[in-house]
Amino acid sequence: MSTEPESGFVTIAQARYRYGAAGPTIVDGVNWQIPRGEIHCLIGRSGCGKTTLLKLAAGLLLPTEGTIRIGGETLSGPSPRAGFVFQAPTLLDWLSALDNVLLPVSLKRRPTAADREAALDLLARVGLTDFAARRPGELSGGQQSRVAVARALIGEPDLLLLDEPFAALDALTREELQDDLLRLCALNGTTALFVTHDIAEAVYLADKVAVMSAGRLAHARRIELLRPRHRDMRYAPSFAAACRELRDAMDGEPAAASERPAA
Amino acid sequence: MSKRLPSLLLLLTLLAGWEAWCRVGGLSPLVLPPPSAVLATLWSEIATGRLWPHLATTAAEMALGLGIGTAVGLGVGILLAEVPALGRLLHPYVLASQLVPKLALGPLFIIWFGFGMTPTIVITALICFFPLMENTLTGLTEIDPARRELFRMLGASRLQTLLRLKLPAALPVIMAGLRVAVVLALVGAVVGEFIGGRIGLGASIIAAQSVMDSSLIFALFVVITALGMLLYEAVRALERRVLHRFSKG
Repeated sequence: MSTEPESGFVTIAQARYRYGAAGPTIVDGVNWQIPRGEIHCLIGRSGCGKTTLLKLAAGLLLPTEGTIRIGGETLSGPSPRAGFVFQAPTLLDWLSALDNVLLPVSLKRRPTAADREAALDLLARVGLTDFAARRPGELSGGQQSRVAVARALIGEPDLLLLDEPFAALDALTREELQDDLLRLCALNGTTALFVTHDIAEAVYLADKVAVMSAGRLAHARRIELLRPRHRDMRYAPSFAAACRELRDAMDGEPAAASERPAA
Repeated sequence: MSKRLPSLLLLLTLLAGWEAWCRVGGLSPLVLPPPSAVLATLWSEIATGRLWPHLATTAAEMALGLGIGTAVGLGVGILLAEVPALGRLLHPYVLASQLVPKLALGPLFIIWFGFGMTPTIVITALICFFPLMENTLTGLTEIDPARRELFRMLGASRLQTLLRLKLPAALPVIMAGLRVAVVLALVGAVVGEFIGGRIGLGASIIAAQSVMDSSLIFALFVVITALGMLLYEAVRALERRVLHRFSKG
């Protein structure tokens, strides 16, 4: 399936996962490579195995067969090089936004003034300068998602894994958060694997989009939109064509245009 | 205050009705003493200082029983939640131990610990143990799986996950268990004294019964109720304080 060179920063090789020895196969022989600094999106219908594949890439689950390597190291547990953004913001209700962002640091050591500075800087980058002292209950859904993204980035991870993090948000907030995410990833050249069921979101964010179906990668195409991305691109014919092709692939139609540049 | 006014008015109305019924109905004070007689007895017990040693003993038994029961219940709840195999092994026995009527153990405890405060404290602790253990176990095992995965992803140790995620998230459930335990602690202390106490509010009720002093029994009911409400409100205040620190918003 993959046409990437073997030098992918993230390499998923023949990954298979099933629940129990006789359980159903959720991920079925996936090969995938993500070069350093690229953003790849996985789309597919509910239950197609995309979240399981993301958890395999995070090391939260270990493959029944095959291997997953990040920067050449084979995963044997949760990767310290990866940041994970869950479907729900999963903030700790009793901590302020700032302390939530600092959580990954505070679990390792006492946060220093520099750590607090970095956390405040991240909050500023997602537009939450004035909300650092507020608790999650005092923030909107979009603001909570922003805090979750900032928390995933505080440790400057090499790889960011995101599981439909903006799915519950309204369309406008989702677009704002997509721009925030692209900006933050570009800042440190962060590699990202983003799971979504929103085709337009995938095309807007990704360098490459894969369609998953019944545990397999059924289709993939590169998205050749220029970077930095901006909102006008959403209305370009090439954007619509890419969305159309991916939609057809999700519907199971022959994907003759696979791997063809979108623009 | 204005919110409590209707409750207060209802109390006054009930007391007035009770008083009138006793006076007009010609009921024997031995069966039902009028509130005025109960208040007079209560005042006399307070003024002469006879009440205080009993009150202090019951309060001490309650506090010690509650403290020990809470600490052990919390500890066992954490242990059973953190070591699922141990939970599966021991939970039926813990449950069975709670189905034994603890007050029926009173005579045995008197043999083991003698008369005095100890058997009452043990009974109170046993009664308070269960709601704390059960609520701690429930609270700790019902943590959002995504948050648990977050802590795994962040490389948190087991102790960190317990102290930084599970216990704070389970606090509302644990505090609800503590509120139930407070009410049960009063029952444990008073009824424990029925069995083996020589001093205390429960022992005083038995003493008053032996001399057919219904007014004193009612006066002691008032004191016991006031003590229970005081402790309940104290736990509510603690709960509000703790939950404000550790909960949403």
